[in-house]
Amino acid sequence: MKNFYRHYSIPTNMKKILISGFIAGCILFVASYGSLFLAVRFCPSLFTEYFNPLFNSDGSRDILFYMHAFVFSFALSWFWDRFKTVFHGAFILRGLEFGLVYSVIALLPVMWISFSALDITIAMVSSWFVYGLLQASIAGMVFAKVNP
Amino acid sequence: MTGTRKWVVSESSNLSVNGTTNINKFACEIPAYDRTDTIFLKNKNDKEIALSGNIDLKVQSFDCHNSIMTHDLRKTLKEPQFPLLHISFLSLNKLPGLTTQPEIITGLVDIEIAGVRKRVEVNYQISEDAQNVIHLLGSRDVNFSDFNLIPPRKLGGMIQTNDKLSVTFHLKINQL
Repeated sequence: MKNFYRHYSIPTNMKKILISGFIAGCILFVASYGSLFLAVRFCPSLFTEYFNPLFNSDGSRDILFYMHAFVFSFALSWFWDRFKTVFHGAFILRGLEFGLVYSVIALLPVMWISFSALDITIAMVSSWFVYGLLQASIAGMVFAKVNP
Repeated sequence: MTGTRKWVVSESSNLSVNGTTNINKFACEIPAYDRTDTIFLKNKNDKEIALSGNIDLKVQSFDCHNSIMTHDLRKTLKEPQFPLLHISFLSLNKLPGLTTQPEIITGLVDIEIAGVRKRVEVNYQISEDAQNVIHLLGSRDVNFSDFNLIPPRKLGGMIQTNDKLSVTFHLKINQL
C-alpha cells in the first residue's frame, strides 16, 4: 500500500512547483493585466501601434491572452525548481537575478527575432522586454518565498 | 417636373469614415473616387423622387493616414473577400431646388459592406455652384455590427474600437 501511494501520489517537488506556479500565476495575473489596464488608460498614445493586422482583432484568442500569466508562471516555476540553488541572497535579490537571467536567455533572443521579422517598432519590442523582465522578477520573488 | 435626369458622379468625389477607440480617434478616407458613375432621377410623385444608380468604392482605396491602421481597416472590412463597398441610391424625399444655398433633404440608400446590405436613411445637403456642379454632401452613422463586422479589439479587449462609425461623403455631380 505504501508503494502504491509512493507510485501514484504527486512527488513533493512537483507539488511545490505547481503550488508556487499557481500562486505566482495569480499574482502575475492581477499585476500584469492591472498594470496593462492602467497603462492603456493613462498612456493611450503608447498603444496606438497595436491597431496592426499582426495582432488578433476578433477576440477569438482572448482566453489564451489571459492564460499567459499562468503558462508563464508554471514554466518559470519548473525552471526555478531546477536552478534555485544558483541564486543567492535575500528573496528580492534572488527574484531580480532570476528575472534578469530569464530575460537575457529567453526574452532577448525572442525580442531580437521578433523585431527583425515583424513590422513592429523598437519602442514596442522594448516595452515587451521590460514587461517580461518585470513579470519574471516578480515571479522569482514569489518562488524565493514559496519554494526557497 | 416630370421625366428623368442624369447625374454623373465625377472623379473628384470623396468619402470619409470617422471612428473612435478607447485610446484615440481615427479618420479614414477615400480621397478621390477613381471612376465616373451615373445616377438617374425620376419623379414618382410630388413627394418622392426615385433614384437609381450605384457607386462602387474600392476598400483598397481607404487611407487612414497611418499605413498600419489602413491595413487593419482593410482587414476588418474583409477586403480580400469583398474588395468593393457598394452604395445604391434609392430615393430622395423631394426634388432639390439646386441653388447655391445648401438645401437639406433626406433619402434612402442601400449600403453593402463585406457582403451585407443595409437600407438606411441619409441626410443630404445639396447645392449647385457657379460652374453648375452639384455638390451632394451626405452623412450617416453606421455600426460595424450592422454589417456583421467585429470592431477591431486588441490585447484581450484592453484596446477596443467603438462600434459606431460616422460616414460622410461629398459627391460632385454634373447634370446631363
